[in-house]
Amino acid sequence: MTQNDTRNHSVLKPPDDINPNPDAALDFDECSWSAMTEADYAELGFMAGLEVHQQLATATKLFCRCPSGQFTKDCDAEVLRHMRPTLSELGEYDGTALMEFKTRKEIVYRLHRGTVCTYEIDDTPPFEINEEAVRVAIEVSELFDLNLVNELHVMRKQYLDGSIPAGFQRTAMIGLAGSIPFRVPELGIDRKLRIRQLSLEEDSCREVSDLGHRVTFRTDRLGIPLTEVVTEPEFLSPQELQAGARLLAQTTRCCQHVRRGPGAARQDVNVSIAGGRRVEIKGVSHHRGLPRLVHIEAFRQLNLLRIRGELIRRGVSTKAFEIEDGGLAWEKSSLVLDASSLLSGCDFQPLRDALDDGGCVAAVRLPGFGGLLTHRTQPGVTFAAEIAERVKVVACLTGRPFFVHSDIIGYGLHSQEWQQVRKALRATKDDTVILIWGPDRDVDTAAREVLLRAEDALAGVPAETRQSFPNGTTGFERILPGANRMYPDTDTPPLALPPSWHERIRAHLPERPWETEDRFVGHGLTLDAARRLAKAPWSKLFTRLVITDPSVARTVESALQKRLPRRLRGSDGAALPDAKRLQPWVDAIADGSLRSEAVEVALDQLLVEPRLTAEDLLNSLRPHEGDERALQSLVQRCVERAPTLRRRDNESVIRWAMGEVMPRLLGRVDPALVRQQLRTALADQLEEVQS
Amino acid sequence: MSETELYKGYREPLLSIMKKNGVVVWSEIRAKTTQGDFEGLLLPRSETSDAEHLVLKLTSGYNLGLRHDVIESMEEIGYREAHYKVPEKEFPFDPAKPKVKLFGTGGTIASRLDYRTGAVIPAFSPGELYGSVPELADVCNLETEKLFGVFSENMGPEEYLVLADKCGQAIRDGYQGVIIGHGTDTMHHTSAALSYMVQYPPVPVVMVGSQRSSDRPSSDAARNLIAAARTAAYGNIAEVLVCMFGPTSDRYNLLHRGTRVRKMHSSYRSTFRTLGDIPVAMVNDDGVIPLKDDTKPRRDDRNVDIHAVFDDRVSLQYYYPSMKADVLDALIDHGYKGIVIAGTGLGHVNRLVYPALRRAHEEGVVVFMTLQTLWGFVQMHVYETGREILQLGVVPLANMLPEAAFIKLGWSLGMHPDDPEAVRQLMKTPIAHEILPREPHDGYLVFQGGVPEIKDFLEQEWK
Repeated sequence: MTQNDTRNHSVLKPPDDINPNPDAALDFDECSWSAMTEADYAELGFMAGLEVHQQLATATKLFCRCPSGQFTKDCDAEVLRHMRPTLSELGEYDGTALMEFKTRKEIVYRLHRGTVCTYEIDDTPPFEINEEAVRVAIEVSELFDLNLVNELHVMRKQYLDGSIPAGFQRTAMIGLAGSIPFRVPELGIDRKLRIRQLSLEEDSCREVSDLGHRVTFRTDRLGIPLTEVVTEPEFLSPQELQAGARLLAQTTRCCQHVRRGPGAARQDVNVSIAGGRRVEIKGVSHHRGLPRLVHIEAFRQLNLLRIRGELIRRGVSTKAFEIEDGGLAWEKSSLVLDASSLLSGCDFQPLRDALDDGGCVAAVRLPGFGGLLTHRTQPGVTFAAEIAERVKVVACLTGRPFFVHSDIIGYGLHSQEWQQVRKALRATKDDTVILIWGPDRDVDTAAREVLLRAEDALAGVPAETRQSFPNGTTGFERILPGANRMYPDTDTPPLALPPSWHERIRAHLPERPWETEDRFVGHGLTLDAARRLAKAPWSKLFTRLVITDPSVARTVESALQKRLPRRLRGSDGAALPDAKRLQPWVDAIADGSLRSEAVEVALDQLLVEPRLTAEDLLNSLRPHEGDERALQSLVQRCVERAPTLRRRDNESVIRWAMGEVMPRLLGRVDPALVRQQLRTALADQLEEVQS
Repeated sequence: MSETELYKGYREPLLSIMKKNGVVVWSEIRAKTTQGDFEGLLLPRSETSDAEHLVLKLTSGYNLGLRHDVIESMEEIGYREAHYKVPEKEFPFDPAKPKVKLFGTGGTIASRLDYRTGAVIPAFSPGELYGSVPELADVCNLETEKLFGVFSENMGPEEYLVLADKCGQAIRDGYQGVIIGHGTDTMHHTSAALSYMVQYPPVPVVMVGSQRSSDRPSSDAARNLIAAARTAAYGNIAEVLVCMFGPTSDRYNLLHRGTRVRKMHSSYRSTFRTLGDIPVAMVNDDGVIPLKDDTKPRRDDRNVDIHAVFDDRVSLQYYYPSMKADVLDALIDHGYKGIVIAGTGLGHVNRLVYPALRRAHEEGVVVFMTLQTLWGFVQMHVYETGREILQLGVVPLANMLPEAAFIKLGWSLGMHPDDPEAVRQLMKTPIAHEILPREPHDGYLVFQGGVPEIKDFLEQEWK
């Protein structure tokens, strides 16, 4: 103790992982997300936040001179590494670090000479940080109105899963504590969305395979600069979250220097419900699947809380599962048994195979867990599967299956064998027994992990990183890392960000989505239409058109919205017309020379008849001398052809006649006039047809 | 606490701003700035960084700098001073395991991080080492002694002498192996020095370091240390060795002879290579696997010849075209007693240097020739230049590496002060494989990347 210890009175704490809301009602009825109301989610204490990763379109990577954004599956050589956890402040290992170390993974990196150098494989210190990337990150920060740092400090964020060969990701804080307008009229949202921070960091490797003790990564993506934007956890329903994700993506993409295409933007979602803990779901690439994903996660947490509630009711305590380090699990805990000899005659094939391969089988008794392992946590997923997937990740077991439990009757062992195992473990009817088989060391790790997971069940929701599956469910990936895994990168000096950079970036800052919307509202559009237009690919086209009258603006927006999507479909946006081409059309709407029913057809023709001038096309849709005559002759033809129609009511006949006449005279005569003339001319016929 | 400590690393203009606002390092502060509010722990400033920025650590763990002219006010809202302490766990003693001595020279063998500041704290005592590399306890009973606190580049003759004596003492004290933790930059100089100074040891003397500091998860430090411990405890090679990564992958370590090893890449893990020969052994999880059959085996006796002497009036000159005599003259003028030249090709320098070589010979300054090519033998009879240089009294040193020759010259001058002829004889006499009678065909293998056969090799083997 130094005398300064007495001075220590820390008040700054990292954000908490525990959901602050009062406990959720455990008897809340489960239903599909479309049937849930906002009030329902409020009752659950649902909270979610986003972390959006966006690759930047720089020529080279963040800390070396390798080309950025060149992807290949080719491989010239491989490097093999292991990761060791480093001790934290209190001489303890970070939870994630310990877990990754327990897995004893061999990590293989596949290298391609065109995409990586010795920096990425951690055999060369970093080169100076890519200034182009720093400028783009500042621009994105400005888009989110963040408080910018003046001096950038590169930090190392530890990752022991192997996704980065160094064992840490280099990352630097760029901006903090901003907010942007969050307006979603259809959800009744009109408030600020608070952005916690934006950092600039290097992208990680892509996993190729993960089998047993060997995980293989491709390194082409490694080191590409990306920004990570983190929101405060203030989305209170899955729909809000989806709208927020869209807004963040839209805002980031205002910057011209971000990468587009598959994989260029990825997001992690943080979700919790009352009584639960923050769970991070990684790598969600589509906004569409977000609501279902987080809805399922909310109920997974509720189900885990129900299990917790039941365990507490049964008087189970965490103490029961404690086990000391070192030695083999079955030597250290009375809950674990080496059942290899007991089950040497077992004919359950997966277990048989493990024993024949020289492995062992362990039986683990979970006191008070009887019947709980079949409790459903996600659609089609039981609590047993929750335990199994964590055990599989940590212990690297490869058997299929490698695990059975006594809550399923009639599977795996014969009932007599179950009885023998239960007896050896002194299991009562309130207990569940899990059997795990495989190589000795892995089974030891697995048995310990089962006890740890059982202990976690009493905490309810373990803070985890989970991966998302296409069906909206998630699977265990790793224990959520603590905040204490960040330390300065001694290889890179701090970089002062000159005010002149900020000024230049601010001066050329692109218009942000809400600013575009406001501008469109200023043109006379409704907020809905303005939002729709701001997101549309023809937003810029609209901006380039000279429109002074609000009603013209509304007509133009509506016509573009109706006609352009069809034109653009399948032609990847390249067919957007030039503003020059459309300006005469806008002018014709404005001066009233184009009749309203001809507006959309005129637009269509301008798009599909590039060889005809706009003037000629528009003229063909304006009144001409002789239109009167043409109308009479067309009406006459209808009168002649009408008797051929059979069994039609009057209205159908008129509709048919309008269809015969109007396309030939669109824009040139008033449809009401045509209708009236047809009615008069066909008066006799109508009677006749009717009879 | 002194003022320097209170404002550690901060200079004007920030010093005044900190004082005015009543904040010091380790204050948890709320800063109002023209760019918004910031909250964090005020960290000390590195002396080598500019004086313009204040460093804050956020609760998220990130650091950032605030420029002095954006700060409007700062308020101390808390205080949290970091303390550096490595957790110690008692190193378990197992009577069945060999006793190994680990000497520390100042490089970081193992370390842990202070996450609040990012400082790297060296771990060295057995307890500290056990806390960070617990596998060591499975190998041996480890005892440690910190000899110096210097970086590799500051290791020199003074330290060589102490190290040699300490090795002798450890051997006589009955340790079954000696490990020396050392920075990698000059590890091959020190390993050469110990090769001459510690002769006929009965047990392995193993030097070890790391290319990636041990605070990072991908560090080679723990694996190197474990391999060195395995070599020292069980290896059957009673010589001075360097134990470092073989390939860049985590596969095996190599044991190099102290005089034949050289650091060949500034940052690669596989930077140490045996030149002109092959390494003596590989070390992996299974133990030490010999590659050569001419190594000296471990003995039970405690005899060792320690020759801890060194005359530092020696220099190593890297020859370059147009080098003039004045460079060598300056050395002679300043009282240098021996010079090793790293010459071109087979061992050449230009004629401009000849007068200085003649003068050196006349004044009893011994001059030796080694090669910039690093591989191959000095052959001064092939060209006229070589023959001329020989006549000027320059002694060729076969395939001795320049650094090994430089260290040997300092040692030889220490062994035979004021006897140039004895020094010349000693220099030409192999002590620890610094001169080899022959070069095997695979003693020189610098693969050329890009050619088809090497591409194939890398695809199949570089894993």
